[in-house]
Amino acid sequence: MKRLTACNQSEHVVSRRSILAGTIGALGAGVLGQPLLSEELHARRKRLLILFQSGGASQFETWDPKPGTKTGGPFRAISTSLPGVHIGELLPHTAGIMHRLAVVRSVNTRIADHFLGHYALQSGRRVPGYPVLGSAAARLLEQPGDVLPGYVSLRRDGPKAFTDIGDAGFLGPKYEAVKIINGQPPANLVRPAAISESTESARDAIRRRSDERFLSGRSARSIQAYGNSFDQAAVLMKRRDIFDLNKEPAADRERYGDHDFGRHCLLARRLLESGINCVKVVHHDWDAHEENFHWHQQRCSEFDGTFATLINDFADRGLLEDTLIVVTGEMGRTPRINNRAGRDHWGNAWSMAMAGCGIEQGVVYGKTNEDGTSVVDGEVDLGHLFHTWLTALGLDPTGHYDIGGGENQIGTPAASAIKELLA
Amino acid sequence: MAGLTLTKTDAQLWRYRKGNQFVNSSDVCRRFGLITLTACLWFYVTGVLGAGEESVVRNERPLHELIDEHIEAGWKEDNLRPAVLASDAEFLRRVFLDLTGIIPAADIARKFLDDDSPEKRARLIDRLLDSPEYSLHMARVMDVMLNERRIATIRSYNVPSSEWLDFLTSSFAENKPWDQLVLEILSTDGTDPVTGPAARFYLSRDVKPDLLTRDVGRLFLGVDLQCAQCHDDPRYVDYKQADYFGIYAFVSRLSLFHDKDTKQTLLAEKAEGNVTFTSVFTGSKGETNPRLPGGVMIPDPDLEKEQQYKVAPASGVRSVPGYSRRLQLGQQLPRRETAGFSLNIVNRLWAQMLGRGLVEPLDLRHAKNPPSHPELLSLLAQRFESLDYNIKALLRELALTRTYQRSSLLPENATTISPNRFAVAPLRALSPEQLAWSLLQASGRLSVHLKEADQRLKSEDPKYYDILRRTWKWNKEAYDRFGRDVNSVAAVFAVMPGNPEGAFSPTVDQALFLLNSDTLPVALKPDAGTLIDGLVKEQSSDDLAEVMFLSIFSRRPDEKEIAEVRDHLHDVPAEMRVEAIRQLVSGKLMSAEFRLNH
Repeated sequence: MKRLTACNQSEHVVSRRSILAGTIGALGAGVLGQPLLSEELHARRKRLLILFQSGGASQFETWDPKPGTKTGGPFRAISTSLPGVHIGELLPHTAGIMHRLAVVRSVNTRIADHFLGHYALQSGRRVPGYPVLGSAAARLLEQPGDVLPGYVSLRRDGPKAFTDIGDAGFLGPKYEAVKIINGQPPANLVRPAAISESTESARDAIRRRSDERFLSGRSARSIQAYGNSFDQAAVLMKRRDIFDLNKEPAADRERYGDHDFGRHCLLARRLLESGINCVKVVHHDWDAHEENFHWHQQRCSEFDGTFATLINDFADRGLLEDTLIVVTGEMGRTPRINNRAGRDHWGNAWSMAMAGCGIEQGVVYGKTNEDGTSVVDGEVDLGHLFHTWLTALGLDPTGHYDIGGGENQIGTPAASAIKELLA
Repeated sequence: MAGLTLTKTDAQLWRYRKGNQFVNSSDVCRRFGLITLTACLWFYVTGVLGAGEESVVRNERPLHELIDEHIEAGWKEDNLRPAVLASDAEFLRRVFLDLTGIIPAADIARKFLDDDSPEKRARLIDRLLDSPEYSLHMARVMDVMLNERRIATIRSYNVPSSEWLDFLTSSFAENKPWDQLVLEILSTDGTDPVTGPAARFYLSRDVKPDLLTRDVGRLFLGVDLQCAQCHDDPRYVDYKQADYFGIYAFVSRLSLFHDKDTKQTLLAEKAEGNVTFTSVFTGSKGETNPRLPGGVMIPDPDLEKEQQYKVAPASGVRSVPGYSRRLQLGQQLPRRETAGFSLNIVNRLWAQMLGRGLVEPLDLRHAKNPPSHPELLSLLAQRFESLDYNIKALLRELALTRTYQRSSLLPENATTISPNRFAVAPLRALSPEQLAWSLLQASGRLSVHLKEADQRLKSEDPKYYDILRRTWKWNKEAYDRFGRDVNSVAAVFAVMPGNPEGAFSPTVDQALFLLNSDTLPVALKPDAGTLIDGLVKEQSSDDLAEVMFLSIFSRRPDEKEIAEVRDHLHDVPAEMRVEAIRQLVSGKLMSAEFRLNH
């Protein structure tokens, strides 16, 4: 496979301003009068779930074990539901669903930095300013009449929140993730007690009349876009229970796991089923510079059970068909085990996984050498992954964002989708 | 020029007033001393010309007339009918927002609307440009433009925001020429007590050479050379990889130095380190010394070994080279000979007043993205140069144009006019800061506070009251009382750090914030002297409607709107009256007419 360059000729932002021109007025004025989404329509919609292993999971302890080598660490490899394929023994439940997954073992991004990695893995680019996968998909999957936010991210609060970097880039604030931190719903979803219902509706009527008058004789776009944001707010207030995990059955809460990652994954299911198109769940603390093996025991045990539950559950509910699930961190971890039994930042030969909508099941793509220090087959860079994900969602990564006569390709023109991963 | 005299007295009086603290603090004294000196020099250089008389003295037609000619000639070509001229009320609100960042208080609005003088618009422009609020506003605008809300990775490793804003505010109060301001920003290493705070430009970017290279190009030259980092840009033929690395070479030897004892963060610089680059397309290699796009390479002087460093690099030491490439950047870039230096800033000031640049986006000026009005852009650059980069004078000319003073009401039967014809006033979002300050103004809380502060000053310092009241320093302290409130509101409406302010893109969390946060309820408590308090005391609904509309929209209500207010308050029981009034006010504060600059 051709090796890629960092920047290529169409990676140019032509106009951040004009890009919203086509979409801002997409919401009709009478939005509140319509049902949110008919169930049938929503069932056919493609959705995206990103499970982001923040800090960088070790490929040796997960998807690409090298037991018995000097880089391999203490853990064994175990067989999986895919004959002949082994993964790390810390993922026993995942081993049972390998036939549903596509795993890439040949990622070479050459990025060994949290901040750049977070941005680059999600945007498919190294140059800043582009929308990340969640924002791009939110924009590209959006349909007229959508009122709920297109992209929601779920994470724990904490100092290492590298994950919310860049986000929508030149697509603008509308496609930034709505952030759910520690399971708290977005701020200001509830009308405060001091404001009565009649005050709320009186204010609203006054605002609307004022806007109608102001609109007369003026260019409509900004005025309507502003009004629409209040319509969206009203819908979100009414439907704020979509953020309420207690509305899910207790049995599901138990199955998904009594920890942040488990709760966030179940909330992700709830959001996707409620009409949010793109959700990102951040699983924290994979950055194991010390005690890598101890840390991975802990992290993998949380991840493994929840992930296998989620994949099986999504399959049972018929969600998997329409939902692309991406499992990745911002980088992998070094083959070399440092003197604190840790593994450090590493971007040259590592692994990630995907499943669901548009993805071939039971594939292992690419190969690293014996001790995992380099890719020997099927080298994959950021751009390939981004193209593959978009294609899996039924979107055309070679299409262009519609911006003021300029060309701004959605996925980098230097890469293309990996056919072997696509169903 | 009144602003200058005030700045001089600013320094002297401030020293007098805060005498004890200041005399003992040599830093602060030096700072004020130097500001005074700069002000005097500037005063000397520009002569005694008022900003407006400049063009007359030079026996040229006023710039604002020429601007209108250029813009209106464009309509003739396109057979385009422009919007009518803005009403007094439209003009008033717009010019207050653009020159002071805050809508006018109700009494000011009333006075202006009732003034019959034909000169009142020009007089208002001059008054606003001379006000302390102008300097406060321009400092906020420039802060956002130059730092794009970036935060240093380690927050405390930066110049405190307050010092940086003081630096900018004093710069605009003395009407520091743009080339001088840029020189100070790019030259500083953070050590100088006067210009040191300008290091925030470098420090907000963690002194990272790639980020600095890109933003020096974007913000000071109007070209985004990002893609030329890896190769000559095939689409923008005028963006070369060698240009990128020419700027890069000015800043590649810089690093961040945090002094643990003083807690100050400064710039360190090395005396060695050359810049080479390879095209990812062609594999061709280059090596460069500092060079500005279109300029010549600046060779490093040959220094004896012992002259290479004033302070040699060592652990815990801030290295200072004998020859600084950073100083070269500061001296070489802000000159009219530098390609794009003048074009960039006139385009940005134009955009500040007119809602969009003649070149748009502001940082993508190249052969295939020509200005909407090329001759006008050159003319503006030329005139700005001959005005010695006098920002106030240029803004004044822009505000005086018919082009600036168009209505946002479309001409009859038109549904849209291409925005780059400047034939109708655009609807643009209030900046996060304009919105936050304007909410405080409309609610009356700002006026109440300023009146109190004013009274306090009058009683404490009657002798120098008149002068102190007009200083940027006193005003900044008075306005800073709301600093925290403004920042928390602005944060909800701001774009992500590192992005330029884009097109109006309202979001659901912003609407939820206005609907359900305690911001409006707190602003609309009926405290003495505030808007709600005043409205409650109005006996007639008609008078009430007038005060309400003047406070919120800077205009009088029409018949229908008065009737609406009357209906809304009709038959409201006494105990519900405050609430009913609050409903009206908060509904209006959430309207597009308030949210937009129109």
